[in-house]
Amino acid sequence: MKTFTTIGFTLLLILSGLSAVTAADNIATLRGSAPLNQEGEAPPMPRPESNDQKRKRNYPMQPPVIPHNVQGYQVDMKVNKCLSCHARKRAEESQAPMISVTHYMDRDGNFLADVSPRRYFCFQCHVEQTNAKPLVNNTFKDIDDILAEEGQ
Amino acid sequence: MNTDRRTFLKTQAVATAAAAAGMAGAQASNLVSDRSKTELQWNKAPCRFCGTGCSVNVATKNGRVVATHGDILSEVNRGLSCVKGYFLSKIMYGNDRLTQPLLRMKNGQFDKNGDFTPVSWQQAFDIMAQKFKESLKAKGPSGIGMFGSGQWTVWEGYAASKLFKAGFRSNNIEPNARHCMASAVAGFMRTFGIDEPMGCYDDIENADAFVLWGANMAEMHPILWTRVTDRRLSNPHVKVAVLTTYEHRCFELADMPIVFTPHSDLAILNYIAHYIISNKKVNTDFIDKHTNFRRGVVDIGYGLRPEHPLEKAAKNAATANDSTPMTFDEFAKFVSDYTAEKVSKLSGMSVKQLQDLAELYADPNIKVTSFWTMGVNQHTRGVWVNNLIYNIHLLTGKIATPGNSPFSLTGQPSACGTAREVGTFCHRLPADMVVNNPEHRKITETLWNIPAGTIVEKPGFHAVEHNRKLKDGVINAYWIQVNNNLQAAPNLNEETLPGYRNPANFIVVSDAYPTVTCQAADLILPTAMWVEKEGAYGNAERRTQFWHQLVEAPGEAKSDLWQLVEFSKRFSTEEVWPAELLDANPAFKGKTLYDVLFANGVVNKFPITDIEAGFKNHEAEAFGFYIQKGLFEEYAAFGRGHAHDLASFDTYHQSRGLRWPVVDGKETRWRFREGSDPYVKPGKGFEFYGKPDGRAVIFALPYEPPAESPDAEFDMWLCTGRVLEHWHSGSMTQRVPELYKSFPDAVVYMHPDDAEKRGVRRGDEVRVISRRGEIRTRVETRGRNKPPVGLVYVPWFDASQLINKVTLDAIDPISKQTDYKKCAVKVVKV
Amino acid sequence: MLQKLKFYWTMLWRPSRHFSLAFLTAGGFIAGIIFWGAFNTGLELTNTETFCISCHEMEDNVYQELRTTIHFNNRSGVRATCPDCHVPHDWTDKIARKMQASKEVWGKIFGTIDTKEKFETHRRRLAENEWERLKANDSLECRNCHNFEYMDFTKQGQRAVNMHSTALASGEKTCIDCHKGIAHSLPDMTGVKGW
Repeated sequence: MKTFTTIGFTLLLILSGLSAVTAADNIATLRGSAPLNQEGEAPPMPRPESNDQKRKRNYPMQPPVIPHNVQGYQVDMKVNKCLSCHARKRAEESQAPMISVTHYMDRDGNFLADVSPRRYFCFQCHVEQTNAKPLVNNTFKDIDDILAEEGQ
Repeated sequence: MNTDRRTFLKTQAVATAAAAAGMAGAQASNLVSDRSKTELQWNKAPCRFCGTGCSVNVATKNGRVVATHGDILSEVNRGLSCVKGYFLSKIMYGNDRLTQPLLRMKNGQFDKNGDFTPVSWQQAFDIMAQKFKESLKAKGPSGIGMFGSGQWTVWEGYAASKLFKAGFRSNNIEPNARHCMASAVAGFMRTFGIDEPMGCYDDIENADAFVLWGANMAEMHPILWTRVTDRRLSNPHVKVAVLTTYEHRCFELADMPIVFTPHSDLAILNYIAHYIISNKKVNTDFIDKHTNFRRGVVDIGYGLRPEHPLEKAAKNAATANDSTPMTFDEFAKFVSDYTAEKVSKLSGMSVKQLQDLAELYADPNIKVTSFWTMGVNQHTRGVWVNNLIYNIHLLTGKIATPGNSPFSLTGQPSACGTAREVGTFCHRLPADMVVNNPEHRKITETLWNIPAGTIVEKPGFHAVEHNRKLKDGVINAYWIQVNNNLQAAPNLNEETLPGYRNPANFIVVSDAYPTVTCQAADLILPTAMWVEKEGAYGNAERRTQFWHQLVEAPGEAKSDLWQLVEFSKRFSTEEVWPAELLDANPAFKGKTLYDVLFANGVVNKFPITDIEAGFKNHEAEAFGFYIQKGLFEEYAAFGRGHAHDLASFDTYHQSRGLRWPVVDGKETRWRFREGSDPYVKPGKGFEFYGKPDGRAVIFALPYEPPAESPDAEFDMWLCTGRVLEHWHSGSMTQRVPELYKSFPDAVVYMHPDDAEKRGVRRGDEVRVISRRGEIRTRVETRGRNKPPVGLVYVPWFDASQLINKVTLDAIDPISKQTDYKKCAVKVVKV
Repeated sequence: MLQKLKFYWTMLWRPSRHFSLAFLTAGGFIAGIIFWGAFNTGLELTNTETFCISCHEMEDNVYQELRTTIHFNNRSGVRATCPDCHVPHDWTDKIARKMQASKEVWGKIFGTIDTKEKFETHRRRLAENEWERLKANDSLECRNCHNFEYMDFTKQGQRAVNMHSTALASGEKTCIDCHKGIAHSLPDMTGVKGW
């Protein structure tokens, strides 16, 4: 029994020693625990967050992220599914936020009668959010926090 | 409540003013209205990501970047950014920023198998200099190497190139533009004799038709795509043709959506040339005056290791770039082999699709802009495809006029400005010059004020060879800056990783974040990024753009420029130059490389006081002179008067970039055309002055098969690439929570029939396996990419799914660029 | 030839000389059942997805589009096949729809939509046919599965609840009014209400 305990203890020591080496070696934060010459399990596919809750923007110019599922949304030369709710003429019925005034401006800053073609493909700036948990925290500071610090 | 005297006085003043205005203390408590507080410091900077070269406005407050948005004054993007650009504010603030040098150590000593341990810059440079000196002593200049990228600022790439080619006398310096743009460069050099597009983005607003040859602009060049979209949707007569090997987002705007069999673009382009000739649509006046015809060498191999059977079988691998003159009639006969029926079979396109596409080019009334990127360049015959696209533009004379433009797009922010124009390739010098041309070496040595014979004639090893030579122990000391090459280079299981971990080698990686390349390194140098330093980038339309240092780098992180220049102080000429060279030039004895290369009277010419008021400049403060200006002006001397003219340093800090050649303060929008390009001689109309006779070359080049095709066991094509939300290896964008959450993990896009056949469904974990390696990933059968049966697409941004374990290190034998778009794999359920 | 025809014609209309009335009635009845069964079986055969996508026009276009949608692939594995949405379940309507389908056979024979390009030029018209049919029958084929009475609004998103509890509940709108293009790509929607 004692021998077994000793062996077990030694094994544990060796293993913990090994894992210490791996931990200090394993610095690529985005990679997970698999050594470079091996491939770890692929995480399950994340799901889109679809709760319609507006997210705080990091700064006023940031395009808002999409708070709902957009699977299969057709945006092409025939139709723009997003605009069927977010267009000026559709917002009353849909109660979706109307696209901002900048979207009516052409390249030279003139306002057009309808959405500017240069803004037609929504997903170039607005992206869906999945429920994946970020691997790295971001320490970007909101301007309000900076102003608050300044005020103190 | 604590109120200091100052705030008190301010409140008092506000109250008094309010009372005077007749409103009793009407200040909303939830609104900061004091302008002195809400005012943000705004400055311009080019975007850090792709080769489009958008300009953004960057707001700073108390030493932090707090907001970014598209620059309204920028001609490139006029106020727009893609989602990555809008989130630039957050890329520097991942909480795992590297803030001090890390060395693998055991028992207080460097050990290849040790743990990463924080060390001082002093210690870091000590061990690094020791290893570089050992390798130089043992193997000579070819025993060391450096790998950078088109993310180096102009002066960083220039300093690196100078340090290696003049200082260490080693041509083993490469940018990862080799993986990205090399085929475009070789294509330009072969056809025009001078690098980079003749047109500019203004072509977009002038074209009647766009043809995309292997470019997913909707995701990879989103802002240029907004311009194409604007043009197409605003003008119903405009047509967009999208050629690709799998359906992607560009199909949303496509009038001609075309999926073709991988590699058959060679045949499609030859068919179009044949169509133009057989339908008598050749612009004979143009080709008579401005072109020559040449037959390229064929059977040139695939740039694999020499012992590979494909290389042994290739007849002309050594002379791949050669060609012989031919006549128009011979050319016409050559392409007549590519009939619609034959090419339809090869490409999977219908005869009608082929004809409609060819007609866009053939119709003299349609102004055509062709765009291409990695689908063409990452191709074992990528140079040929570049040449063949130019063929059809030259045959019809649709070139160098607004809207008529064969336009090669770039992937990195300064692929053009740094990698290509500065010449950070193993065979290049600034302004399109090359090391194996004695005249070019002489010009360079003179401008650099170094002894004749310093620059070595023989080109160094190219990018893919670097990894082979590291594995073979030929290169032993290696420095990687501004890229994540372990993740980016092909066949990493068999070449890159064994190369980096070879016990004989010492690998240094400069980066802002701990990437997988860092993990495979021996020494990691923490690096400043983007607006933490002063910089300059050159985009795909020859536009050079500058930015100022706006914030401080965290901890002890230093810019690549500081690292390069500081490291040069560690070497004396006696240690790196042969005795004969020094004996013949005794003035260089007893000097450091820093003295010779940077404190040379040119680079250190401009005082710190030249720096625009209000801006910090860490490197200038460290070295005591305005080093960026000195490096830029020394470099600019190469191109001025030689069709690569850059404006003066200070001009760029004021403008939103200028397109070279900038002559008499005026930029050039279309080169090679009289009236638009000052280098075209009066009366010529057009002049391709990169070639001695002013004529561009139309090449006869055949279809040849790819290096690897699907077979019974590895039954599918693998195509790799990017996604909109992440740039390259994701080392910056994966650290922005919003971008991460929008596309967290790589997936394998496949056709539902292929999934069914393999008994897998969406979300199932599978192994994507090639002869070289495998990854584990999840099946995606819907979404933005829709591959045809028999092809899968895997993006490469994900560090936990290193798809380059699977890819093949076959390259274009002329450009040495890897083909990341074609290899054979099988997909198996886990 | 003409004489022969006349002979058979008169024979058909002459009263039977050899068989009893009962035999003839029963025989007719049995034959009727057989014919009826065969007819219905045949009809049902054409009512399967396998039949629908045996034409490449269907397989290459609309079927491929369906495959990526929630009506094909979803958490519970209950999926809609082509006839679930496009063929009425009620017999008379089904027959009416099948008679319309003879036009589609015509189209198949003459290759009206035999290429992707041709299909695209007809997409708006084809879609409109279906929208009109569903509008007219109050989205009957939708409601065969999605019964308003049994919708649990607490399980729906707020946007869905808002619409379903008002416009749908009052009968002001029917499913197809809002849910166009849920199973196939939409045509050019210029001028379509709500787009």
